[in-house]
Order: sequence, then C-alpha cells, then structure tokens
Amino acid sequence: MTITSHDDVPTTVLDGAVKDYSRDKVYVLTAIFLAVLTIIEVFTYTAPDFPLWAEELLIPVLMILMAVKLFTILYIFMHLKFDKPILTRIFYSGLILAMFVYIVMLATFRFWF
Amino acid sequence: MALTEDRPLALPSGDSNDGYTPTGVFTRPTAETGPRSWFTTVDHKKIGIMYGTAAIFFFIVGGVEALLIRMQLWSPRGTLLSANLYNQIYTMHGTTMVFLVVMPIGAAFANYLIPLQIGARDVAFPRINAFSFWAFLAGGVFLNSSWFLGGGADGGWFMYAPNSGVIFSPTNGIDFWNLGLLITGIASLTGAVNLIVTVLNMRAPGMTLMRMPIFTWMALVSQFLLLFAIPVLTSAQVLLMLDRLFDANFFNVAKGANPLLWQHLFWIFGHPEVYLMILPAFGLVSEILPTFARKPIFGYPFIVFSGIAIGFMGWGVWAHHMFVSGIGPISVTAFSLTTMFIAVPTGVKILNWTATMWGGKLNFSAPMLFSIGLVTMFTIGGLSGVMHSVAPMDTQQTDTYFIVAHFHYVLFGGAFFGFMGAFYFYWPKAFGYMLNESIGKANFWLMLLGFNLTFAPMHVLGLQGMSRRIYTYDAGYGFEFWNKVATIGAFTLASSIALFIFNIFYSKSKAKTLPPVGPDPWDSRTIEWMTPSPTPVYNFDPIPTVTRVDDFWYRKYGETKDGKLVRIASTAEVAQKRTDGKGIHLPSPSYWPIVLAFGLPIVAYGLIFSLWLALIGGIVVVAALYGWIMEPPDDPDAVHDDHGPEAHASDGGDAAVPDSADAVKEVETVG
Amino acid sequence: MAETLTSRPTLADADAHQAHAHIEADTNTGISNTKLGMWLFLASECLLFGGLITTYLLYRRPLEGPTPDEIFDIPFTSTSSFVLLMSSLTMVLAVSAIERGEHQRMRVWLGATAVLGATFMAGQIYEFTVFVREGLGFTTSRFSSAFYTLTGFHGIHVTVGIIMLVSLVLLSLRGKIPEHKAETVEIVGLYWHFVDVVWVVIFAVVYLIPT
Repeated sequence: MTITSHDDVPTTVLDGAVKDYSRDKVYVLTAIFLAVLTIIEVFTYTAPDFPLWAEELLIPVLMILMAVKLFTILYIFMHLKFDKPILTRIFYSGLILAMFVYIVMLATFRFWF
Repeated sequence: MALTEDRPLALPSGDSNDGYTPTGVFTRPTAETGPRSWFTTVDHKKIGIMYGTAAIFFFIVGGVEALLIRMQLWSPRGTLLSANLYNQIYTMHGTTMVFLVVMPIGAAFANYLIPLQIGARDVAFPRINAFSFWAFLAGGVFLNSSWFLGGGADGGWFMYAPNSGVIFSPTNGIDFWNLGLLITGIASLTGAVNLIVTVLNMRAPGMTLMRMPIFTWMALVSQFLLLFAIPVLTSAQVLLMLDRLFDANFFNVAKGANPLLWQHLFWIFGHPEVYLMILPAFGLVSEILPTFARKPIFGYPFIVFSGIAIGFMGWGVWAHHMFVSGIGPISVTAFSLTTMFIAVPTGVKILNWTATMWGGKLNFSAPMLFSIGLVTMFTIGGLSGVMHSVAPMDTQQTDTYFIVAHFHYVLFGGAFFGFMGAFYFYWPKAFGYMLNESIGKANFWLMLLGFNLTFAPMHVLGLQGMSRRIYTYDAGYGFEFWNKVATIGAFTLASSIALFIFNIFYSKSKAKTLPPVGPDPWDSRTIEWMTPSPTPVYNFDPIPTVTRVDDFWYRKYGETKDGKLVRIASTAEVAQKRTDGKGIHLPSPSYWPIVLAFGLPIVAYGLIFSLWLALIGGIVVVAALYGWIMEPPDDPDAVHDDHGPEAHASDGGDAAVPDSADAVKEVETVG
Repeated sequence: MAETLTSRPTLADADAHQAHAHIEADTNTGISNTKLGMWLFLASECLLFGGLITTYLLYRRPLEGPTPDEIFDIPFTSTSSFVLLMSSLTMVLAVSAIERGEHQRMRVWLGATAVLGATFMAGQIYEFTVFVREGLGFTTSRFSSAFYTLTGFHGIHVTVGIIMLVSLVLLSLRGKIPEHKAETVEIVGLYWHFVDVVWVVIFAVVYLIPT
C-alpha cells in the first residue's frame, strides 16, 4: 500500500526520480552506447565481409544488436529499471505475445524453411 | 447507524463552486437530469446503462436480420431475399451480434459493476469511459448507415480477402464495415485500458486481487484479451482499407499477395475475441449461482485461474478456423492439439459451477434458471467445439450448418443466456425495481425452447451437408423439415425477447404500487449489494473495507462450529443508507467525449466519399482533443488544479482543511 | 448461541473506522492511473506494429518493380535513424529537468526533441519522394504497399508525438505544467521512446537485413 504525502512535490510524483544531475550522466552514456551500436549496425552494411557478421551470421548479429538497443531504451530511457515491476510485466506480456503469435504465423507460412 | 452524523470521510470541499471562475469559455456542463445529463455524463453507471440500451437496440436490428434469414430459408427456392441481399444480411447479422451486441453488453456490465464490485467511486478515466461508449455508438450507427448508402457489407463477418476486395464487392458496404469496426475498435481499446487501470489501481481498502468478485476477475481477463486482440484486427483492417480505398496490394493475388495473411490476422484476433465475449457471461453466472445456491462458489482460485488460463491459451488456437485452408499437416496437428487442451480450463469452470450447485439450497428464480441454462447450453456448444478440434472431422463440418449450430450454442446459449440472467439479477440494483418473476420464468422457458428449436436442427442440417451462407437450397436433399423447425424456433426466440421487453415496461408500471426494493433483494454475497438500489451516484458512503471473498455475505452470516449457516445481522443493519453524498467529490460531466466520438465517423465518411469531409472530421477531432486537454479541472479544490496543494485555501473558497480523504484522488482530470 | 459464531465486523460504520480507511491510498499499485494506462496502451501497440512488420516480412520480395536492396539508401536512413535515436536522449533529459523543477531547461529539451523528430520526418518525406521518383509507388508491388504502410504508420506516430511535444511546450509556457503535473511530461516521453523503439526494430528488420 503506497501512501503518498504531498510535502515532497515534485520528486515523489515520478517514481525513482532523483534531484541532482547524476541521472543525466547515465542518460548521456546510454545515448553514446546506443550510438556505438547503431554505428556497428551500419558497418554490417558498409563492410559486409567482416568475419563477425559474414554470411549467415549477419541476421543473428543484427537481431542481437537490435534487441540490445531495444532493451536499453526500455530499461534506461523508459525507466523500467527504476519503476515498479508491474509495468515491466505489462509491457512484456504485450511484447512476448506479439512475438509469439507473429512468429507462429510466419512459421505456418514456412517463412524460415 | 447514524451515518449522517458521523461521517469521517466527508470532505468539506463539496460544493464550493462559488467564487471559482474557470478559464476561458470551457465551463463544464452541470446538468444532472434530462437528456443533456446523459450526453455529457461521465458516471460509469449511466454509461453502463447506455451501453446496455444501445446493445439491446442493435440486438433488435440483428434479430430482425436473423428472422429475415430464417424466413428466406423456410422453404426450398425461397424468394424473399435475393442472393446479394442475403449476403449482406447474414454479414451484418454476424457483425452486429458480435461487435454491437455481445461485446457491448459485456462492456455494459463491466462498466456498471466493476467499480461497484471493487468499491470505487468511478472508473480510472471517467471522460475516456464516456468517449468509449460514444465511439462505440458512433461506429455502430456508421456501420448500419451503410444500409441507406448503397448496401451493407457482404463478405461474411470474417470478411475473407481477396473476396472482400473491390473486384468482388464493388459497393461501399465493406468500407463501412472496415471503418465502422475501426471506430468501435478504438472504443474497445480505450475501454480496455480504462477498466484494467480501474481494477489494478482503484480497489477499496482490503480488496486484494484474490478477494475480488469473480465477475470482476473475468471482466479483467476479457479486457486484457481486448487490449491485445483489437490491435491485430486494426492492423488487418488497415491493410484491407488501404487495399480497397487506395489500391494497395496486400490482398491483390496478381501482385503476389497471400490470401492467408488476412485469415491469420483475422483469426489471431478472432479467437481471443470469442473468449472475451464469453468470459463476462461466465463471470456473471459465477455471481448468480452462489447467490441462489446459498453456497460460496466452489473453488474460487480454480475458477479465477482457469479464466486466466483461457485468456492465455486463447492465443494459441486461432488456426483451427483454417484447417481446410491448406496450412499444412504440422500446423494442423499443432493447432488441433492446442484446441483440445483449451477445453480443459473451460471444463474446470463447468465442474466448479456444478459443484457450487451440488448440495445447495437451490432457489430457481429467473436469474438462476438462465444461469443453469448457460451451464447446460454452453456445455453442448463446448462439446461440439471439441469435435471441431479433431481436424478430419472439422474438414467435414467446415462451412456447414454444424458450425453455425456450434457457435450459436456458445454465443447465444452461453453468453446471451448469462446476460439475460444478469439482466434479471442486476435490474433492481440499476433501476430500483424488480422484473416480474413469473414473466421472467416464462421468458426463460420460452427462450430455451425457441433457442433449441432454432439451433439444434442445424446440427442435423450440417451433418446432412447443408452449406452455410447459401441463400437457398433445392428440394429433395432432406433439408426442408429441419429448416422449417429452425424458422419456427427463431420466431419463438423472438417472442421470448419481446416478452422480456414487455416485462421491463410491465414491471416498471407495477413497481409504483410495490414497496421500494431494498439494497439486497436476493440476499447476495458481494459488496455491490451493500449500497442502496438504485445505486446512488457516489456508489458507497463510506467506502467499505473488505476482509475476505464474499465480504457482504459474511457481514450477514456466520458459521457455527459444525459449519451451519447462521444469520448474525439483518440486511438493514449491514447495508448502507442513502446519504446526500455531500463532500464526496465526483468527476464533472464533459461535452468533449461525445464531440470527439462523433468526429470519428465524419472522418470515416470522408475516407469513403470525399477526402474534404475527412479533413473536416479531422479538424473536429483535433479541436475536441484540445478542448479535452484545456478543459478546466473537475474540482477547483482538487490537487489537480494548476496550483500546488499548498495554494488551496487562497484559491478554492472555503477549502481550508487539507484533503486527506480518499475522494479527491479518485478523479484524474486527464481521464 | 451467539458465542459459537465466528464474529465479523457487521456494521457499515465499521468501515469508516478501519485503520486504513483514513489514509489516502494513492493507488493500489502505487503507479498513477495515467502512467499505467500509457504502458497498457504501449503493450497493445506491440501487437499493432507486430502485424504490420509481419506483413512486410511476408511481402518484402516484390514480383515487379524495384526491390528493397536496389532502392534503400542505407547511409541516408542511418543518419535519420541516428537523429531519432538522439531525440530519445533529449526527451529523457527533459523529463529529468522537470523532475528537478527546471522549467526553462525542460522546454529547451522538449523543443530539441520536437526539432529532431521533425528532422526525422523531413527525412522520411524526402526518402518517400525519392522512392516514388525512382518508380516505387504505393501501388507498385506488394513490397511497396507493405513498406509504405509500415513506415508511414510509424511516421504518423512520430507526427502525433511531435504535436504532443509542441503542445507540452506551449502549455508549459502558459504555466499549465506545474511540478505536481510533471508526470505528464514523463508519459509523453514514454510514448516518444516507444516510437523510437519501433524504429529501432524497423531499421534493423526492414533496412539492414538484406533480401
């Protein structure tokens, strides 16, 4: 049972909010991290023969990079890391359900084989 | 019992509108009676009643369509309807019954009952709630306006592509279908978000999730199904709309489109859809059966978790609608197995209801009869459903009347019988008078008879090989007799509905001579029966504190050591008295939901007829959204005003006492 | 007989005297209604975009007209993707600013986010016009329909986001976003980040995976 008092507006309004600038540093570092991942993604296009993502490794590498970017944004920028776990559960139920039904659907179309 | 003298929850800020001038022209409407109060209401009870009324109106429309179908099929080579008109009528019958009758009746009960059952003052976003209703009504009216603008949709309620393309259906009927259901989809989606947030966030003190009434649980599961199923339909409909209106190639086989894409998307939506239609009825029956068996529901956690299990498993069975579409043996096997498994949680529920009645002191009132009707009729429909999971058998039955019989047993015999029972059960709570019990029982038996006369013969017709969606049949195939029986049954069914509507008006006129109905006419179990009937606008005063499942029952009854039921308090002692509700802050009415909702069909008409009209509709929508945002807050004293809580006393007139009670927080201006 | 009963609180009055009836319980989950509602909406959006992405995957090899590998300009799209990614940073800095009560800084960051979003949209419109000039109309092939629908749907979401950001700046200038309403900014931010997340998926699945 959460009991909210009004004496501490504004920071209690936002879950996990902090008053100093320490969080901003985290955000900037996260953005740099995301930028680096994006640059690696672009490298798979400009240098397709690099052994790490050559041939059939390309799609798994791209998918992993995509997933890392996606969860970084979800956890840091969208505050799932700092917020109540129920939000994570709600969003994951939608995300996992979407992946499940659409992957099964693509499978019935024999998309991968 | 001096509730009025000792009211610790009262806020002193009640009616302090004097001295408060809202910004600009956006004053909020204040009417509490008359038509305007209904157009602008944000009260979940009024909205629930409007949902029910609109759904019954559409039920009559869909029912007339059903009667036309049955009259056409009365004899071989029927001439009442042309093939073209027949296509439109069965399509609109199915669409109306699914999207404009069963879903909104579920929404009506969810709206009316969820806040009452969890002990809240209103839903989480009252204005969005009003918008959901008006958007549903706008979508339904838009859809049916196609009858006057070139004919209804004619592709079946599942609207398989590419048969639903412009080449095969050149009229605008399917465009109306597409856009109308996109609008009702928006309504369902906003409604689902609203009700889920309400259940998760606004429960009364002590009302943990596992103390919630079963109906609230089942409605919660069905709202989650809506939340995730509607966007799939939306994506499919957007593709079809772009194909039909803007020449896209999603279902254009000449450019390599795959017709199965529509079938998959539609049934990924469509199968959760059937569960979200039936689950509210399951919940209602789970309220009615324990009340009239005078026993707690058998296995509360099982019934809750089987509902959740149905919600999950409902996502893994969709391709059983597509066994004959050539999806391949592996897919057929997999979906066949999942379909067989989903019968398990449904069977658990049937067992729970049976065991609830077992050994109870059964009182066969009208609601109870309808509920038992659901349990038996749904079981028949469920068993023929399990037959369909066997793929070889399904191959025989696909597109025959056997399927029609099956889903009417599930949807009419299941969902609608439950709704009828709940109408009789909750009528006094909503309107303050009882529906006549004898007419109610006659209503049940007539409906049971008519229902079985109509749909049981369809099993036979289907196995004899009569196809669905064929506007006539030749003599000599043995179809004549059972078709005549079904048509007679359909008119019997229609007369039972007429009897129900008669009962509403008859009972209302008789009610003046009868003593007013108390808060708890059925000796019920859950807390919505604690508050006076009809429900006061503030729901509860004070909000009850809940200590266990069936809290209200255990305020009235205790148990002796050997388990015998003993009354420990009279209903009058434990029920709440009607108070003036002073000091309880409720959300204010608003014009914007209805303006926003009726902007949507203008956009839709524009997409079909002229993009200029769509622009006008778009301007209405955007203006309504900004009006919505800029609307002054509900209550000048609420913390949602533009001033911090500390600025209260200087601004809000007589509000000097800090608002520490629960009433203020109930209302989010954002909603 | 009375002593054999299990005693229960029987009077409605008792509710009012319950210990926790007097405390203002904000919400049962401790999360505001609006934030919970926005997350539910975003969860359902996964299914919507999932359907469109799946459609694209099925239809990405056209029978006629330009193929994706021929027509995509990866360096250009990478740049606009980068712009959208950085708009997430400015958005989160705006939320961070209002958490500390710094209104002016919040407006600057919100404005920056809107400008970056608009840049992305300008890039998309430019990309579309180039594609149309190169012979990839909306009705050309199954690939073109699926591509324009998916990216166009995302573009509509970005546009709605830009409108919300600009509205927030205007509301803030009129003093309509006091600290206790700061969560509005966070909720618009959630929407904005989600739109960015969708683009992360589209960029990898649509643009970078070769057909």
